[in-house]
Amino acid sequence: MSAVVVALGRRRLRIAEGPRLLAGIADGPSLEAHRRQWPAVRAVPLEQLATLAEGMQLRGRGGAGFPFATKLRTAAGRGAVVVVNVSEGEPASFKDAALALVRPHLILDGAELAASALGARTVHVVLPGEHAAVRESLLAAIAERDGGPAFRTHVADQRFVAGQARAVLELMAGRPNLPVTSWQPEAVAGHRGKPTLLSNAETYAQLAAAGALGSDGFAAIGLASEPGTTLLTLNGESEGPVVREAAFGTPWSMILAPEALNAPILVGGFHGAWLQAGALSRSEVSRAELLRLGANIGAGIVLPLAVGACPVDETARVVRYLAGESAGRCGPCLNGLPALADAMDALADGSGRERVAELTGLLPGRGACAHPDGTVRLVASLLRSFEPELDLHAAGRCGFAILRRSA
Amino acid sequence: MSTHRLRVDWPNCKARGLCFELLPELVSLDEWGYPVVAGEVTAELLRDARAAVRACPHLALRLVPTPPG
Repeated sequence: MSAVVVALGRRRLRIAEGPRLLAGIADGPSLEAHRRQWPAVRAVPLEQLATLAEGMQLRGRGGAGFPFATKLRTAAGRGAVVVVNVSEGEPASFKDAALALVRPHLILDGAELAASALGARTVHVVLPGEHAAVRESLLAAIAERDGGPAFRTHVADQRFVAGQARAVLELMAGRPNLPVTSWQPEAVAGHRGKPTLLSNAETYAQLAAAGALGSDGFAAIGLASEPGTTLLTLNGESEGPVVREAAFGTPWSMILAPEALNAPILVGGFHGAWLQAGALSRSEVSRAELLRLGANIGAGIVLPLAVGACPVDETARVVRYLAGESAGRCGPCLNGLPALADAMDALADGSGRERVAELTGLLPGRGACAHPDGTVRLVASLLRSFEPELDLHAAGRCGFAILRRSA
Repeated sequence: MSTHRLRVDWPNCKARGLCFELLPELVSLDEWGYPVVAGEVTAELLRDARAAVRACPHLALRLVPTPPG
């Protein structure tokens, strides 16, 4: 399979040729190459665009999975604002970076389509603070375009919660890029109180594809119940992150190597859920299927556990990292996540399961953003999927460490 | 009749605990002194809930209509 390899800081990001959004990526990110493959944006009225989004069952690809059509209809109003979120604060996710590097114009086409339907003259693009190459790619793409909306760019902080919707609006308002309490959905009252369509970069790229292909063309690949494709970041392999595009319905066995399928897998990133080894062996890429297994596709992060690593130790390490990523503004998160990290360390050492249970009951729903909720979700999935492993830890042993020694 | 619930503006809450003092029926405090707010505000507690909202020194407590569904 052909792939484009991009240097991203010290990492090498592999972007695999894909069936739709990532098709023809070897031709480069220029507008000229893009237009050979994708037609110029044809403006459509708002209701037609909403119907299209509904038909393709477009859900936000930033993690929360909110139905895009609902958001679009809600944002229809005087002075509507369009925001493209490319901040990708989750460190294990590279799919928006990949898209911005190889297909920046598809993201911008989708934003242009939404802006014209909403009558918005300006599109705000929120760039990641972390990757200069991603910023440069999008800025170069914006400079190449003419006609269409004006693009205004902002640079997000390098922080896990910086990409959260309200944190993004704070950044755009010139305040610290941190979450604040949302009293109304952004689509009702967002940037400067105006109705705001704030969506993830991939969401706009998928919208652009649907605008160009039409409803039937879009549904030509994927499942009848989940048309089209999704971007995935596959991580945990020695060669670094790989971004792949998969049609819904693709067997996971065609995407993951056998050793990855036979390892515990973290799906949905650091706010996601652990699945037991082999859980995906006979499963396919599908939101519904993952929900049935107890996971959410989220932003498309799939992290197989490395050979010899232990899911309990790994989760304790991730919770400690997430505790450090708290913006520190909400009491229950500021105090609760470090306490949960301590409890997870104790759990890895074989004690304190009650304390973990107490904290996972106490933290959700008590913050300006869902950072504590996501962290608790990760821990809860560990407790659910690795009960026998936790018993081993309580007895002072670790099944995974034993595997490592015998390997 | 419309129903209400209490919402905390978490970044502004500084764990002063007045809501708990005024409305122990609905508010308890966690181990760090931050409120844990229970369920719906019943009609008979509405007055006390309004008092708790007014008393918050950081204006971090609000009474909001329960969303439909």
